[in-house]
Amino acid sequence: MIKKDLFAEPGLKQITVWGRGVYENKEARDVVVSLTEAAALEGKYVQAWENYVDLPDRIYVPVRAYGKISSNPIESKYVYENEAPDIVVLTEETLVKGVDILAGIKPNATLIINSKRAPEYLFKFIKSNTENLAKIVTIDANNLSTSVITLSGAEGATDASGIGKGIGAPLAAAIVKATGIVSFNNLLDIIVNKSAARKAYDQAIIANVHDLIKTYA
Amino acid sequence: MAIAYEKIPFAGTVKSPQKENEGMITGNWRTRRPILDAEKCMECQLCWISCPDSCVNLMTETSPITFNLKYCKGCGLCAEMCPVGAISLVPELDFEE
Ligand code: SF4
Ligand code: SF4
Repeated sequence: MIKKDLFAEPGLKQITVWGRGVYENKEARDVVVSLTEAAALEGKYVQAWENYVDLPDRIYVPVRAYGKISSNPIESKYVYENEAPDIVVLTEETLVKGVDILAGIKPNATLIINSKRAPEYLFKFIKSNTENLAKIVTIDANNLSTSVITLSGAEGATDASGIGKGIGAPLAAAIVKATGIVSFNNLLDIIVNKSAARKAYDQAIIANVHDLIKTYA
Repeated sequence: MAIAYEKIPFAGTVKSPQKENEGMITGNWRTRRPILDAEKCMECQLCWISCPDSCVNLMTETSPITFNLKYCKGCGLCAEMCPVGAISLVPELDFEE
C-alpha cells in the first residue's frame, strides 16, 4: 500500500506536463527535460520521464511527461507517476476540458496553459481539484514557435531533434517566470529556441486564482 | 421490411458490435468539434461511412446526421470527406458545454 506521505520530501518539486499524442508528445517531454537539465546545472537532484501507460502514438490522446527537481536526493525515484504535482502544464488548451489535470496537486500549485484565451475563461472549464491551485499562467506558445512533431525520443528512445526547439521552450520560460523553479539563464543554456523563450518570459500572463474566484462569485 | 441498421447482424451471422465502449471514452481527445451546416448537407452519408470511430450517426427521417461527441476525437476526417463542405471544425473551447 502506498503511504500517503510518500512524497513528503522536503525540497522536492513535481512537474506534470499534459500534451496531445503524436503532435505534442516531444514538446511535453521537452518542458520537463529542459527544466530538469537547467536544475541539474544548479546542483539539484532531478528526474524526467514519460508516463508508461499513455499512448503517445495516438493522435490527440492526452499524454503526460513528468519531472522531479529536489535539493535532496530523491527518495521516491522509483515512483513512476507524479501523484502530487506542484506545477501542471498543458501544451494544448483544450485539456482543461474533460481531463482531470489537477488531480493530487499540492497546496499553492501553479497551472501553465498554452493559450491565447484569458485565464478566467480557461478556469471555468476546470471542474475538480481546484482548491489547491494558486496561479494560472497563460502563454500563446503557438504564436512564438511551432510544435516539433516527431516520435523521436518517445518511450525512451534517443531524441535526435534538439531540446526546446518548439513550443516546449516558451512554455518552460513561462514556468520559470511564474515559479522561479530554475534560473532563467540556466534554462536558456539548455534550450534551442532562446528567442521564443525570451519573448514568452515577457509575455506570460500570471493570474491569481483567488481573484478569479472572486470575479465569478 | 424496414429494419433499423443497428439491428442488422454484422456480416449477417454474428450479433452487431456495440457502438459504445465505456472503457475507452475518447471525447476528451477532441480539440476541434465537427459542426454540421444542415442547409449545405445533401444527405449522402459519406461522413458516416468515413468516421474511423463510428461517431457520425446516420440521418433519420426527422434529423440530419449527428455526431456522438462522447467519442468523437475531432480528427476532422468527416469534414475532409464531405463533398460539399457542410462540416466545419470549431475549437472545442468555443463551446462551454
Ligand atoms: S471528427 Fe473524426 S471522430 Fe469526429 S465525427 Fe468526424 S470523422 Fe468521426
Ligand atoms: S458528407 Fe457532407 S453532405 Fe454528405 S451527409 Fe455528411 S455532411 Fe451531409
